[in-house]
Amino acid sequence: MEATLEQHLDETMKHPAIVGVLVTDQQGHNLGCRGSLSDEHGGVVSVLAKQAAGLSKDPTDSPTVCLESDTGNVLVRTHGSITVAVHKMAC
Amino acid sequence: MRTPALTQGLERIPDQLGYLVISEEGVLASAGELENDEHTAGVIMQMVRTACRFRLQGAAEPPFKRISDFVYTVTVSGQKVFVVKRQNNQHAPVTV
Repeated sequence: MEATLEQHLDETMKHPAIVGVLVTDQQGHNLGCRGSLSDEHGGVVSVLAKQAAGLSKDPTDSPTVCLESDTGNVLVRTHGSITVAVHKMAC
Repeated sequence: MRTPALTQGLERIPDQLGYLVISEEGVLASAGELENDEHTAGVIMQMVRTACRFRLQGAAEPPFKRISDFVYTVTVSGQKVFVVKRQNNQHAPVTV
């Protein structure tokens, strides 16, 4: 499973606009990362996704959070039991 | 609950369904679908505090300018947090 995840991370990083990618579990533990996103971001990313879910009355809703800044956009979304963050430079 | 000077621009945002203006003291203004929505205000303030802890290596502060979440656009300006609920069907920039 780890090899598949690592492969997905490498594939994601091939996109020219993407400078970082991170996958965490529900506790914010880092399952894998590349580029600008690292261990230290796991906690914040998983907490943000959890808090965003509280905005919807539908518990199956999985919102996308986008943090926008001059240093690019960080997109955060939960898929099942994992949360994925992608750091993308604005085009 | 409206404060004209604070909300003038928010009223004119296309596809706006509602808005909140929040400070550390609480909700300063609200309208539309977010009128008196203390729950959403509370969750969004928690998210802003979480997002403020996000630091990219070598990046200068602040860590973000805007959170686009669902159709909620959250902008931090000065000591206030502006939340606008918008229909998420347009990609054109806003001309106010």
